[in-house]
Amino acid sequence: MKQTAVLLGREHRSTFRDHVMALLPAGGNLNACLTCGACASGCPATGLKDMDPRKFLRMAALGLDDQVTTTPWVWMCSMCQRCIYVCPMKIDIPQLVYYARQSWPREKRPKGILGSCDMALRSDTCSAMGTSEEDFQFVVEDVLDEYRETQPEFAHMQAPINKSGAYFFLNQNSREPVTEPDEMVPLWKILHLAGADWTYATKGWAAENYCMFMADDENWKHIVEIKKKAVEDLGCKVWLNTE
Amino acid sequence: MNVELLTLSEVEEFSGNEGNFSVRIKKNPRYVDMDKCIACGLCMQKCPRKVDDEFNMGVGKRKAAYIKYGQSVPLKYAIDAEHCIYLTRGKCRACEKFCPTGAINFEDREKHLSIDVGAVILAPGFHPFDPSGFDFYGYGRITDVVTSLEYERMLSASGPCMGHLIRPSDHTEPKKIAWLQCVGSRSTNRCKNGYCSSVCCMYAIKQAVVTAEHLNEGIPQQTIFFMDIRSHGKDFERYYETAAAKGIRFVRARPHTILAGKNNMGVTMQYTAEDGRMHCEDFDLAVLSIGLEAPEDGPVLAAKFGIELNSYGFAQTTDFEPVRSTRPGIFVTGAFQAPKDIPQAVTEASTAACEAARALMPARGALTHEKTYPAEQDVTSQEPVIGVFVCSCGINIASVVDVDAVAQYARTLPHVGFVENNLFTCSADTQSLIAEKIREHHLNRVVIAACTPRTHEPLFQDTLREAGLNGFLVEMANIRNHNAWVHQALPEAATQKAKDQVRMAVARVAQNDPLRQLKVDVVQKALVIGGGVAGMNAALALADQGFDCVLLEKSDRLGGNARRLAATDRGQKVAPMLTRLIERTESHARIKVLKKAVLRSAVGSVGNFVSKIEVDGDTRAVTYGTAVVATGAAEYQPREYLYGQDERIMTHLQFDDQLAQNEAAVGRARSSVFIQCVGSREPQRPYCSRLCCTHSVKNALRLKTLNPEMNVYILYRDIRTYGEREDLYKSARDLGVIFIRYGLDSQPVVSRKGDDLFVEVFDPVAQLPLKLYADYLVLAAAVVPHDHQALVELFKCGVNADGFLNEAHPKLRPVDMSVDGLFVAGLCHYPKPMDESIAQARAAASRAGLILAKEEMQLDAIKSYVTENCDGCALCVDVCPYRAIKLEQEKIDGRSHIVTDPALCKGCGLCAATCPKEGVYVHGFTLPQLKAQVEALLAEATA
Repeated sequence: MKQTAVLLGREHRSTFRDHVMALLPAGGNLNACLTCGACASGCPATGLKDMDPRKFLRMAALGLDDQVTTTPWVWMCSMCQRCIYVCPMKIDIPQLVYYARQSWPREKRPKGILGSCDMALRSDTCSAMGTSEEDFQFVVEDVLDEYRETQPEFAHMQAPINKSGAYFFLNQNSREPVTEPDEMVPLWKILHLAGADWTYATKGWAAENYCMFMADDENWKHIVEIKKKAVEDLGCKVWLNTE
Repeated sequence: MNVELLTLSEVEEFSGNEGNFSVRIKKNPRYVDMDKCIACGLCMQKCPRKVDDEFNMGVGKRKAAYIKYGQSVPLKYAIDAEHCIYLTRGKCRACEKFCPTGAINFEDREKHLSIDVGAVILAPGFHPFDPSGFDFYGYGRITDVVTSLEYERMLSASGPCMGHLIRPSDHTEPKKIAWLQCVGSRSTNRCKNGYCSSVCCMYAIKQAVVTAEHLNEGIPQQTIFFMDIRSHGKDFERYYETAAAKGIRFVRARPHTILAGKNNMGVTMQYTAEDGRMHCEDFDLAVLSIGLEAPEDGPVLAAKFGIELNSYGFAQTTDFEPVRSTRPGIFVTGAFQAPKDIPQAVTEASTAACEAARALMPARGALTHEKTYPAEQDVTSQEPVIGVFVCSCGINIASVVDVDAVAQYARTLPHVGFVENNLFTCSADTQSLIAEKIREHHLNRVVIAACTPRTHEPLFQDTLREAGLNGFLVEMANIRNHNAWVHQALPEAATQKAKDQVRMAVARVAQNDPLRQLKVDVVQKALVIGGGVAGMNAALALADQGFDCVLLEKSDRLGGNARRLAATDRGQKVAPMLTRLIERTESHARIKVLKKAVLRSAVGSVGNFVSKIEVDGDTRAVTYGTAVVATGAAEYQPREYLYGQDERIMTHLQFDDQLAQNEAAVGRARSSVFIQCVGSREPQRPYCSRLCCTHSVKNALRLKTLNPEMNVYILYRDIRTYGEREDLYKSARDLGVIFIRYGLDSQPVVSRKGDDLFVEVFDPVAQLPLKLYADYLVLAAAVVPHDHQALVELFKCGVNADGFLNEAHPKLRPVDMSVDGLFVAGLCHYPKPMDESIAQARAAASRAGLILAKEEMQLDAIKSYVTENCDGCALCVDVCPYRAIKLEQEKIDGRSHIVTDPALCKGCGLCAATCPKEGVYVHGFTLPQLKAQVEALLAEATA
């Protein structure tokens, strides 16, 4: 099947790339591509949706904004930054992907991410699972009791909640308390053995921030601010986010 | 004799001005007396301390008593004070005990000396990039990841694996090998080397090709992962094509990460091809093609000498003064100036010598030494009295060959008047001893039974001359390399063979006649052919050295192709430079410019040529000692891409004219398209024109500067902005120039519809066909050589398969032509940018100056000569490759005969081998000499 040629050259087409370059320091080096393919060779999303980081950047460079701003490939990027790590020109492809996500209408963005972001916005727990303050507290205390009983060497282990003035404020991914509560324990043990002074909180405890993945700047910021307030309210020195 | 080597030395202080510098030097102790050391290697053998061998990149060990490598100059051992057991712990001295000449000197101390010099040449070389910091390639962690320099040593016959290729992990032969290009080059992320190292593509291809020769079994599978293949040197593109045809796989991809194979043996890596497909492949070995960095101590050196470095740490120079540092009188050469390959580095070494010679012109010859010898005694009427000196070479020969038996045997041979055994026949004290014995025993021929004449014959010839004998009355029997070293297990047979070798040498030397080295008077004037930038630079460099020059230009004005060029690669304006250059050339008292001039004839040879030159219709004769050929080249006239059918389509020189005349109009264009490799790298013209990539990139940059909104596209096959030119490529990309790659099988298509001009091309990364509007279409047309046939006929010089004039040897003699006394510079040799043309022109002037500086020249003695048997059959005339033989018209005693020209003869012996009647011989290799040798061999064998 012969593809129709893309007509280029009459006008300046690449508005999307220019827009992103204006936002990034040194334009994210987006123009500097040697098309060497080191990024594509190391990208976990290469080949998905017939796309890879090099091709994506190339299409942006050619000004094929329609494709660049609509390919669902951008949602398959894990933001791992393997591309920029080895790129000889240090091209900020992750940021280009980020802004391509932002160019999608909010309601068209992937349902899972969108739903999780919206759920987190509903309460001060910031939980994408919608777990309430009470449920979180109950699960933590319940699991802690069980381990203190069954594992005598951890009989004095703590999992404090809302401990004012603790040194570390620890976030918790909200999937664990709901689906895999036992997965929370190894970190408690480490902190216990290290003698760390830490605490969970009932507000702002959820570690994840799907609004960031959705490139929803405003709500990303909102979620971060809630968590920041929770840390400050308890007077903690260090905020530990395990995500 | 006029070069003093100061090894283990460093500059401590430097002061003064051009023509009068003072250098204070610290000479570190070698602990070996250079006059006594005969490089036998016993100290190294006996030294108990093993050290990582830095020359072999730490692959393998050396001793604390060592030479860096077998070809070291000077070939003298040294003791590494940092590792020597005695020097670090006060005990051992094994080397001292075993050294047969007493050369070890532990009392050696650091010395300081001051010397006055008029000019300085800095050539500290480069530093190989260390890839340890690239964690994604695993170098240093994954055993079977090596650098290209380590691999080079692994391949080398004199390397740690003795040329038997094995991989580090399990010492098996690697069959499947991957090269990763641009490691530490063309990158500003994990390193700061934005430039291209210029040489890695070619060395990787060479290594891949050579690998096949080092495997004992199986079929090698070599893969080179690259961004652009840069085979822009003379005959390099052909080498690349041949390598590909031989099955070496070239993959345009960059693997992201190298992972260790199973049990840390071999490697595995993923890479995405240009079409976006992911591949995962295992290799037995990965080679990182590391780049060239400025020397680590470059900044210290620069500060000491008060010169400036560029942002990459290389010495700052300009395109018009390619080897001049920022301080007058200090010149830089080699990779310290910029990454470059060997031909370029050797050329620019001569350029630096030229600049130094120019700077020191008034003092030329003031400090040179010439050796004198006693009067030579006439031995022609004497019976041969042969002295035989049998060398033990320490234990090198004596441990296998019974040297006493050989000496005893030599005494029985005819004409032998004296025989002696020496521990080291080549040592300095043995030379005085040989001279003494010659006088004492009235010896008139000498046989040295020792090692190879390749390294030692000049030494013994010199010893004979010092004893008043002709140097050609010595013969060598190589009983070491050809015998003791290869027959270690068979001492008796080896001894017998040594006797045979000595017998043959004795038989032959008895036939040796004294030979004279012919001297020719040198006409101290040069002819420069071609009045472009190269020709004018050559003429001025010669004239500034004090030599008269005739500059011949075929057109009615000087300047050549440079008249059409706007700026050099570093952005220096060409026109003002050219005006000054022409002015200086035309007004120089020592240069005579002949315009509208054509060379009509050339006779004679090095030192003394005569040519008829036609100047505007009149013919005149010019005599000269040497000539520089700088006839330039032309731009290819394309037949492709609708060239000639639309005025918007032009070659890059035409586009330069357009930019010069109508810059504003060009700036209004909305879209400009460049097509690279028009007429280059195609089956009918398979070389790369070297300068077009940079030229187009420069013009693209100019367009983007004129009008940032203009769409500029460069359609290319490989971008070859080698060296620091890579910065231009980067700037062009940064400004938004779009580079689209095409292949020979997917060339762009140019079409017109109405008033619109279009270029269709397939973008291999986007995997989309593109159709580009073109207000201007610039064709990067090839550089094509002029027709050199007339020149080749006149001078008997040669051209390569592409029609460019040939150098005598690309690495060893890159500006000499195969005809002695002729030199080549500029585009007629190969396409090159202006800085390289200028460097080559001055290098040619330096080489030509070596001839012109002498009033008479000594030629080699090994030359053909006519005997009375010649009857003028002229068979030899046809076979002589140097046209050194002519059939004489005048007969002698009614017989025809030939005459040979010793100045043209190279002593190859084709004539003597062809002649059916011994009418022509070559001195030193006459039939009686060869016959005596063979008969001596057969006589004993049949007895």
